[in-house]
Amino acid sequence: MLIVLQLYFSFHSNDRQTEEAPVLSDMAEVEDTLKRIQGINGVIGTIVVNAEGIPIKTTLDNSTTVQYAGLLHQLTMKARSTVRDIDPQNDLTFLRIRSKKHEIMVSTDKEYLLIVIQNPAE
Amino acid sequence: MADRSDLKAELERKKQRLAQIREEKKRREEERKKKESEMLQRTENVSEDSDLDRKRRETEALLQSIGISPEPPLVPTPMSPSSQSVSPPSETGSQESIDGGTVGRYRTLQWDTDPSALQLLADSVHGCRMQRLGASKIVQIDFMPKELVTYCKETQTPVASDQPEEEEDEELSVTKSEPVPQQLEEESSQEAEEVHPRELTNEEKEQIVHSEDFLFFFDRSIRVMERVLAEDTDIFFDYSGRDMQDKEGDMQAGSNLSFNRHFYDEHWSKHRVVTSLDWSPQYPELLVASYNTNEDAPHEPDGVVLVWNMKFKKMTPEYIFHCQSSVMSVGFAQFHPNLVIGGTYSGQIALWDNRSHRRTPVQRTPLSATAHTHPVYCVNVVGTQNANNLITVSTDGKMCSWSLDMLSQPQESMELIYNKSKPVAVTCMAFPASDVNNYVVGSEEGTVYTASRHGSKAGIGEMFDGHQGPVTGISCHNAVGPVDFSHLFTTSSFDWTVKLWSTKHNKPLYSFEDNADYVYDVMWSPVHPALFATVDGNGRLDLWNLNNYTEVPSASVTVEGGCALNRVRWASGGREVAVGDSEGRVWIYDVGEQLAVPHTDDWSKFARTLMEIRANRGDGEEEGVLELPA
Repeated sequence: MLIVLQLYFSFHSNDRQTEEAPVLSDMAEVEDTLKRIQGINGVIGTIVVNAEGIPIKTTLDNSTTVQYAGLLHQLTMKARSTVRDIDPQNDLTFLRIRSKKHEIMVSTDKEYLLIVIQNPAE
Repeated sequence: MADRSDLKAELERKKQRLAQIREEKKRREEERKKKESEMLQRTENVSEDSDLDRKRRETEALLQSIGISPEPPLVPTPMSPSSQSVSPPSETGSQESIDGGTVGRYRTLQWDTDPSALQLLADSVHGCRMQRLGASKIVQIDFMPKELVTYCKETQTPVASDQPEEEEDEELSVTKSEPVPQQLEEESSQEAEEVHPRELTNEEKEQIVHSEDFLFFFDRSIRVMERVLAEDTDIFFDYSGRDMQDKEGDMQAGSNLSFNRHFYDEHWSKHRVVTSLDWSPQYPELLVASYNTNEDAPHEPDGVVLVWNMKFKKMTPEYIFHCQSSVMSVGFAQFHPNLVIGGTYSGQIALWDNRSHRRTPVQRTPLSATAHTHPVYCVNVVGTQNANNLITVSTDGKMCSWSLDMLSQPQESMELIYNKSKPVAVTCMAFPASDVNNYVVGSEEGTVYTASRHGSKAGIGEMFDGHQGPVTGISCHNAVGPVDFSHLFTTSSFDWTVKLWSTKHNKPLYSFEDNADYVYDVMWSPVHPALFATVDGNGRLDLWNLNNYTEVPSASVTVEGGCALNRVRWASGGREVAVGDSEGRVWIYDVGEQLAVPHTDDWSKFARTLMEIRANRGDGEEEGVLELPA
């Protein structure tokens, strides 16, 4: 019994040493994924924003990015505080703004925002 | 002209600095006095007078005569302001910032070697006595060039385009007029990480993108986002005035077998053969597919397992798992919704968990003689929620039974040997419905065997001879209904035939010979008693309904591309069929209602069909039929 347990643990440590343990997507895949999203029909742009509203990755030009990032960051903060005020245990996960011309989708967690602007009519 | 104004500015700054120096002087005088008293105490305490100490004291005395207090330098040289050097505005800007910073730092810099600075102090103290010019250090401080803000005009409404233009103009004008304070602000903001949006440097962005937190967030968000993007339902659709677009997946209500969708990933499926498929028992829309090596990409992992989602229209896999060796068989763990089990070419069993964020297996069996050392083509979880085992069989005839908690060694292992002489090279295995002890295996020699795990007859039982080529697929009847057909199983083989057997007879009941190529897989429908699907090397998917015809398939379709089809799996509802081909594509076909959904009398019809089949066979061949004990 004891020997068996030892084997189990040592096997696990070998496992960790030998495996490369790549996280689910590394840098190149992040780029590829963003390109793929951008290539989907109707997608106008994709922006990744950090917790302070500073854009980290974008497929749009700088001024538009800064504008979207700033405005959507504020809106997301407001939406999050709304959700939290109603129920403190709750938190905002996804925000979708549908306008006449575009649809802006914001996926959010504690630290980052992923913004995708789409033209849904296509 | 520009030089003059520059010089004037410099002179002004120097004057300011001089004033500061004078203030510091006074403070330093006081401190120096304190230090001197300390020094005297120290000299009293120290018994030995070393050379070094003496020299130090001499130099200190010398410097004190000039008026500099003896303090060790704290800040490295490059920061020392060289007041007399001709410096570009940016450097003076840096000097200013340093002035703006702690004064103490500035003071200690004076201790450093710069003779011009010393001279400056001397002048300040003694009132411009000597003017001595000397070589001074040129300090070079690099600032990253200010990023050019470019604005590309896009087609937007006039209101939207004005605002960004204004913003841009403001930024440009601000930068032009006051370069120095702007850069100062930038520095401080970057250091202090202010709230209002500033651009991060590329290095900072790279750092963020490489961080684990970001990658977790990105993976989760991208999954959701892709699902959302793929759904193109228009919630504002107006039925009154507009033309209705053709909906995707046209309703072919009459057809029996219609193409639904296919799953293919450019990166992970290309040039790989689909070796195995399985549907999830808990989430009927999830399908797992395993792929073998991609010879064109030697640096990619040999074994890839992808979990696809039928519910959403997105074309990318839900989960991607890797393994160092080709995965030959895969399955969802029956009673553990998060686990995916794969049997590999090297004989290792790999276990992936979709709760972990890793793509590599969380557990693997060891490559040892206690486990498998040959390719594992069959993995199956049998048992109940509380007592379940993973059964794996490799091509050297070894059957191992594992517990999913501990894959470091099998709970039990058994050699499948027929007649005590030769081990069976198992290529496929199937358990009849609700049986955990007895199972059937097909071998490379073309023979089929029954086997049992426990009991007096543990190991290989009977032999079923009939195929002339390796058996590629075996399937036990598992539709549950009024009549029990669980003794039936079908096999497919390289000899272009599919055979129907009963465990009670060691010769096939019927042989289906409609194919013109190797038949690679066969599977009974989970709901219809008389329906099974076969795939062959010509790219043909056949559905046989034995209540209709036994000579020809009731529905047949050739998959686009004409690649050989390697695997077929019915979805648990019996309405969809997943087919994997040799180019890495998984095709999902919908089966029409008339064919897929059984009627209540289908069971009795099938019983009658079976009797007819037996009767016909009985007429044809009398010899060699052994009635085996049930």
